[in-house]
Amino acid sequence: MSRSEAEIGQRGWATALLVETGATLSSSLDLATTMRRVAQLTVPTLADLCVIDLQDERGTISELAAASTDPQLARRLEGLRESHPLDPAGEHPVARVIRTGEAELLAEMSPQSLRSFAAGSDHARFMIESGYSSAVVAPLTARGRTLGALSTLRLSDSDPYDLEHLELVRELARRAALAIDNAQLFRDVQTVEQRLDAVLRNLAEAITVVDESGQTVFANHAALAFLGLESAEDLTAARPGEIMSRFIVLDEAGRELDLDQMPARRLFRGEPAPSMLVRNIVRATGEERWVIVRASPIVEPETDRVAYAANVFEDVTEVKRAQLAETFMAQASRVLASSMDYRETLQRVARMATAQLADWCAIDVVAERGRLELVAVHHDDPEQLAIAERIARNYRPSLEEKVGVPEVIRTGRATIFNDITAEALAGYARDAEHLQLLRQIGARDVIVVPLAAPTHTLGAITLVTSQTGRRLIEADLDVAVRLGRRAGTAVESARLYTERSRIARVLQRALLPDSLPDMPGFQAAASYRAAGELNEVGGDFYDVFPYGPDTWMLVIGDVCGKGAEAASVTALARHTLRAMAMLQTPPAEMLELLHRTLMAQEPEGQMCTVCLVVIGPPGARVPLAIALAGHPPPLLVGPGATATPLGEPGTLLGLVEPIAIGQSEALLGPGQTLLLYTDGVPEAPRARSQTPLVLERLSAEKHDLPLTEMLAELEQAAVRSAEGHPQDDMALLGIRLAGTTVNIEPR
Amino acid sequence: MSVEEQLQIVASNGSDRLILALEGELDLASARLLANALASVDLDGARAVVLDLGGLRFLDSTGLREIFKAQKAVHEGGRGFAVTRCSPQVQRLLHITRLDEHLDSIETPESELPEEPLDAG
Repeated sequence: MSRSEAEIGQRGWATALLVETGATLSSSLDLATTMRRVAQLTVPTLADLCVIDLQDERGTISELAAASTDPQLARRLEGLRESHPLDPAGEHPVARVIRTGEAELLAEMSPQSLRSFAAGSDHARFMIESGYSSAVVAPLTARGRTLGALSTLRLSDSDPYDLEHLELVRELARRAALAIDNAQLFRDVQTVEQRLDAVLRNLAEAITVVDESGQTVFANHAALAFLGLESAEDLTAARPGEIMSRFIVLDEAGRELDLDQMPARRLFRGEPAPSMLVRNIVRATGEERWVIVRASPIVEPETDRVAYAANVFEDVTEVKRAQLAETFMAQASRVLASSMDYRETLQRVARMATAQLADWCAIDVVAERGRLELVAVHHDDPEQLAIAERIARNYRPSLEEKVGVPEVIRTGRATIFNDITAEALAGYARDAEHLQLLRQIGARDVIVVPLAAPTHTLGAITLVTSQTGRRLIEADLDVAVRLGRRAGTAVESARLYTERSRIARVLQRALLPDSLPDMPGFQAAASYRAAGELNEVGGDFYDVFPYGPDTWMLVIGDVCGKGAEAASVTALARHTLRAMAMLQTPPAEMLELLHRTLMAQEPEGQMCTVCLVVIGPPGARVPLAIALAGHPPPLLVGPGATATPLGEPGTLLGLVEPIAIGQSEALLGPGQTLLLYTDGVPEAPRARSQTPLVLERLSAEKHDLPLTEMLAELEQAAVRSAEGHPQDDMALLGIRLAGTTVNIEPR
Repeated sequence: MSVEEQLQIVASNGSDRLILALEGELDLASARLLANALASVDLDGARAVVLDLGGLRFLDSTGLREIFKAQKAVHEGGRGFAVTRCSPQVQRLLHITRLDEHLDSIETPESELPEEPLDAG
């Protein structure tokens, strides 16, 4: 199409150009492409070369689009604009028009004028060589701002532009400017939106937006991961409630929650919606998360209606688990401290583990000869418990097995088995019945941890989850290992305690006479009660042996301290006294010798209190020779309801020098009882009311009873007064004349 | 209850003496605290050490031994030693064991000390 033909229908093509430009501008192409189209539309009818330049916020002018009859030309101009940017304050028409906002018609341009505004000699040469002859430059103005300029150029011998062209180009520029402005506005908005979107999407906290119907309209990456979804489409395509049906949602106390109770639903109902701590369990996998759910309303400005609710899910699983583990361990410690019977303790552990960790729990310990003994098994469901017990009792693993409990006991290493398959179960089962039982009870995840004492493994704790959707994960393994360690230590202490009690009982018996000797003319009885639980050898001792012709020696004493050390001193005292008695050493001298023996004990001497009574020969009234060394005086009970302390105090043995033995004499008559006792002195009373005065009163009251019964009553009274927990041993030794009866008569 | 809660020992300076006031229970569990207290106090200028047993709620044979060990240590340093404000139970214990013959007991922490101190031998 020649220029002259075009000129003929100028009005027509000009209108067509504007219409076409409008269509191009309203298309959804990006700004650069759109502007290139606009530039191309002017070529060749309106221009040989069209350039659209934009000025950015910093004032830099750069080319946005160019079109020309010769494509080379447009490309070369692009290069020049880059290498020789226009000076915004310079005389180049584009710069000028952008500055003034006024369109310019440069009807005819001479090489001189081109040189005058060229951006360097290359630019000048380019314009002259290209044959720049006529130009219209119009501002790209929108909303009062000049965004750039649209230039149309004619080259060489083309007709120069006139004022009508000026108007046309100005109109073209105005429309282009609007499009550019819109595009920029849109881009700005999009950038903000994208940023916001990016922030939301990439927040670590899971965020969803739901509408009133419960439909999710937005979910960020964290929310998708949290809900176990691949893409946002999966979520937005799901029916309301469909996603949530994949989870079991429990409150803190473990009660199942209805969707209506969730904060977002409350918001839509106009109720207060405080944040909630929920326990979310994925039905399919059993995976458990602790989550704080918060909801904020998104209100429509026009109507004030809550249009959407934004949910924020904060995953607090780690914190919550740690907290629960602490609580669990604290509880475990209480349970473990509550009894010294290890079987009972382990049964409690199993019950507690079932309440907190797993569906069932079994505890095995290694018994004598390497046999595995099941000491505890628990399941919350009684029917399932019966099955668990049957499995545990009928299918005992042998210690040689390379899997499960025996393996854990052998290696001391905890193990976890997740998602046990039907095949694995079948492989583990010993026979068809075993397999059937295992299937009935179900075993999905299993944790086996050592019941670990400080030095060795005592057994194993097995935790199993079945069909309840509960899962056992690594975090539970840590808790279970700690439980195994605590329980193991407790069991070991209990075992040592039991063992020590047994030894103590054996030792104590060895330190006391098996039975009192037959003493013609006398009746004698003794009672001995060890303090509290039989875990320590006490320091009390008594003895009766022949002393001289027709005379006997009665001994009662109390060695300071308890345990093995006290036991050895007790044995020493008892045998020293017996040996000296054979030599008929006088009582005071016996005690002196014992004192020296005790003082010689390493490292710092041993203390002891002793009461010796030489009794005999038998008669109507029997002489008593009493020697005391730090010990409470014996009581002469009767006649009647009276009790009198006998003897003078003597110095406790084994502490100070010199000692003084208290010696005195008395007579034992018919109807009287001689009572030797230890009341814990030198263990002074703490809680006990068994003071000598109390004993005096009690023995007087009980004096009408047969001797053994009297002693039993006194012992019972002592236990009662100490509220069933005497803190010290108590020994009683009573002597009466044979063939006499005791009557309590009012005094 | 820790050992420290079981027995508290407060040292104070009297006219010519150091007073150690014992409060709580002196037994096997807390016995070492008395020796520790005695080892840590400054006895310069003190002519004697007085154990104030007024706040003692319990004393057993081990505690008794500790008191005599303390007495021995103080005597070896050339100073006097006495106990004061013994409860009736402690007095009874000291009487029955005749240890009162080996331990000076004064009425109050500031009562005059005997010229010739008793010794455990």
